[in-house]
Amino acid sequence: MSDVARNRLLLTLSVVMAAIYLFPLYWMYVTALKSGSEMFATPPSFWPLSAQWSTFAYVWESRNMGRYLWNSTVIAFGAVTLIAVLGTGCAYVLARYRNIWVDIGLFLILMFQVLPASLMITPIFVGFSQLGLLEYPRFAVTLAITAKSMPFFVVLVRATFMAVPMELEEAALVDGNSRIGAFFNIVLPLARNGILVSAILIFMQAFGEFVYSKSMIQDIQLQPASVGLNSFMGPNTSEWNNIMAYATMYVTPILAIFVLLQRRIVSGLTSGALK
Amino acid sequence: MGIRRTMISIALALASASLAGLSARAEDVKLVLWSLDRDIQPAPNLIKEFNAQKNGIQIEYRQLQFDDVVSEAMRAYSTGKAPDIITIDNPNHAMFASRKAFLDLTDMIRQSKVIKPENYFPGPLKSVTWDEKYYGVPKATNTIALYYNKDLFKAAGLDPEKPPQTWTELVATAKKLTNPSKNIYGLTFSAKANEEGTFQFLPWAQMGGATYKTINSEGAVKALSVWKQMLDEKLASPDTLTRSQWDSTATFNAGNAAMAISGPWEIDRMLSDAKFQWGTALLPVPSEGAQRSSAMGDFNWAIFSSTKHPKEAFKALEFFASKDVTMYKDFGQLPARSDLPVPPTGNALKDSALATFVEQLRYAQPRGPSPEWPKISKAIQDAIQAALTGQMEPKAALDQASAKIRSIGG
Amino acid sequence: MKRMFSSITDGRGFDLVLVGVPFTFLLALSGLPLLYNILMSFQEVDMFSLGSVVRPFVGFKNYVDLFTQPETMSILRNTIVFVVGSITGQFIVGFALALFFWINFPGASWLRGLFLVSWVMPGLVVGAIWNWILSGDFGVLNFLLQQTGLMSGNIFWRSDPNFSLWAVILANIWLGTSFNMILLATGLAAIPTDLYEAAEMDGANAWQRFWTITLPMMRSTIGAIIALGLIFTLQQFDLFAAITDGGPNNSSNVAQYWAWDLSFRQYDFGKGATISVIMTVFVMFAATVYVRSTRHEVRG
Repeated sequence: MSDVARNRLLLTLSVVMAAIYLFPLYWMYVTALKSGSEMFATPPSFWPLSAQWSTFAYVWESRNMGRYLWNSTVIAFGAVTLIAVLGTGCAYVLARYRNIWVDIGLFLILMFQVLPASLMITPIFVGFSQLGLLEYPRFAVTLAITAKSMPFFVVLVRATFMAVPMELEEAALVDGNSRIGAFFNIVLPLARNGILVSAILIFMQAFGEFVYSKSMIQDIQLQPASVGLNSFMGPNTSEWNNIMAYATMYVTPILAIFVLLQRRIVSGLTSGALK
Repeated sequence: MGIRRTMISIALALASASLAGLSARAEDVKLVLWSLDRDIQPAPNLIKEFNAQKNGIQIEYRQLQFDDVVSEAMRAYSTGKAPDIITIDNPNHAMFASRKAFLDLTDMIRQSKVIKPENYFPGPLKSVTWDEKYYGVPKATNTIALYYNKDLFKAAGLDPEKPPQTWTELVATAKKLTNPSKNIYGLTFSAKANEEGTFQFLPWAQMGGATYKTINSEGAVKALSVWKQMLDEKLASPDTLTRSQWDSTATFNAGNAAMAISGPWEIDRMLSDAKFQWGTALLPVPSEGAQRSSAMGDFNWAIFSSTKHPKEAFKALEFFASKDVTMYKDFGQLPARSDLPVPPTGNALKDSALATFVEQLRYAQPRGPSPEWPKISKAIQDAIQAALTGQMEPKAALDQASAKIRSIGG
Repeated sequence: MKRMFSSITDGRGFDLVLVGVPFTFLLALSGLPLLYNILMSFQEVDMFSLGSVVRPFVGFKNYVDLFTQPETMSILRNTIVFVVGSITGQFIVGFALALFFWINFPGASWLRGLFLVSWVMPGLVVGAIWNWILSGDFGVLNFLLQQTGLMSGNIFWRSDPNFSLWAVILANIWLGTSFNMILLATGLAAIPTDLYEAAEMDGANAWQRFWTITLPMMRSTIGAIIALGLIFTLQQFDLFAAITDGGPNNSSNVAQYWAWDLSFRQYDFGKGATISVIMTVFVMFAATVYVRSTRHEVRG
């Protein structure tokens, strides 16, 4: 088989697979463009009869999406920053040594995220309310997300640090660097890509966080987009086209960034020092 | 420290002075109200009107989701952050009232010129009552009845002015209407494993002479057997087990079910979506002349006992109750009042449907009241689902539910 | 004081600070809530005592009550089926895709990017969409299966007790594939190519190379993925709420959904907490697998 034919075959195959996999996403887009009752038609229509583009403008305006997305961004950035600051050092230490304490540490890290957010929220809410943290609801949610997502970050970044050769750090120490100096000048730059990429993955999760925000942020001015979406998804809703238009505007920008960055994500996570 | 404190107090003094200068309303009493009403529903709109009066009370609104109302309220109450006023689903009212989490309004109601117990339907009033005291005010009410598609009746050779009256007739009619080749089921309703399933089943059991305390009596077993027959013979979609009332009725509107059991909240959507002639009828009874019964839905107003402003909160409730007159016209919800006629809307179809629901309301019974209602309801849902999936016989399933309800102490 | 400072900048103290701060944070924000749940499982809890920790102690009553309920065993069994089914599915599909896109062909890395959508879509939306896809009467899945002649009648994915759990597993596999794929793709990219070149010269075929090089080199990646996957799977909640509500007749109910149902629908917080304690046992297993997998790592 010639190279060209092989490439074509592979390309076709992957396009077919992508088409199947992306069907739910496609369905979200199509539903956003359909009229209200076209949704429930039998047999289902795979293309909107007359695309209702105005839905997008209507939803953006009436739902005040700009404010919601801004809040989501603030919360997600806060959480990612905090996670990166706290988690990177932790991952570095857990990768540097190999003893029983490290085993215990890794074990605990996973145990800490055993409970679903829906069960964590009650104790966290009670604790935060006693500390008065609920007066700063976005900050409170940021803290809660940090606790929730940090283990994931540590596991991924630890793997990145494993790829940084120990000899480089040792050489730096021999050259008269302090531990801090070696960490910041040698190890951290070499693991930069992996950290960045894990942070992006966390950002995307935090951007969609829902359970904590819903309970802790009661002021509509401060709520993120996920709560805004939920607030018009009640049990008796018939505005699925509006909901999906909302979801489309919520997801698409971040999806586009993701697709563009994913090449770096893959190479970033493996980024070894030697690339 | 001393300097900082002085600075802060100076700043505060300046700030309050300038605020007082700007507006005289710094003294307003601030109330917080939680409800699940969306922007086209009563609570947020009534609050706007109320605030516009500028009578020294300002209400702040927070919208909740149906599933979250009770859990959010509990969490807030137990940490001392409860709102002043809340709207709560009527079967959950007793849970809060029995523990005195809600304020006893009996005395205030006695002196009130606006809220008079005798003006309310007995069912809703019973749901706000605990230990012969009033712990709330009914906000609105609803019930379920039968919708049917007249065009499909005609096509099947049935008289469109004679909807089924009894369970036997209902099954027979559904059989005639079911047409798998055209994707048409005879009936659609909801037996979902949540409160909706209980809401739909309990009236059937009550018509058979049962109550939730005698849920395994003969009439209830017969009711569940009829449901089972509907599903076994594919007269209703198997998705009845996992579909909400709203989604089930959507299939009726799309012409994929010939009859539907649901409430008045469907009317507006049906008027716009259903492209056929439809009518409404009272829920069919076990046999001719048997007692009628129906479900009773919708929310109550309540004031948390932790409020610092009980008088002002009650004043707000009085204002809301005074707006019951236009509730149907403005928001399409039925006030829980027997003294207020539902005014004609000018749309004949809508008015006749409403007449059916208002008559059906006379037979509506609250769920409970019991502080353990969620657990009782869960036992009933489990029985419905076990029987309809064929994993237990109706009798055995209801026996098990009955034992569970007794052990809960319902 | 000076010694302590120099230890922090240049010694053991440095490591201890780096690891100590985040662990203190996690202990406070994740460890304490975990303890709160464990404590609650031994107490009688109602809405008035949610805010304090001093509550009537009931010993193992919640546990005994739970295990005498007829549905408990089937729900725990469902949980295991759900976790094993989802992880196996996600892993196999994710690995297959990662391997496929590892082959170098034009457009490969672009198309691979598209497989990551499920990572960014909000759970609420994913649940609603799968609800329609799987619906019995007008669902797209049934429609497609019939159009392609694979099936003659409708399958009621959500409402048939034989299928309901699998319906949720199917949706969850879709959801988890992207996470598995991206981490496995990273693992693959990290394997030095000279290993393969050497094996090829020795005459090893593709299948042999996969078993002797790819899998052993990926061992620690796989350990991390399975451990994280188990945790994500045990936290899956939106799909149950949107597709089946745990029904019909608990046939698709799993521990995490049941715990929520008991706590926030029946307001039986003690029993809800008891289930969450049982779930920690599952995760202990995952954590052990993960820690063991790290033993095989080679420092770069």
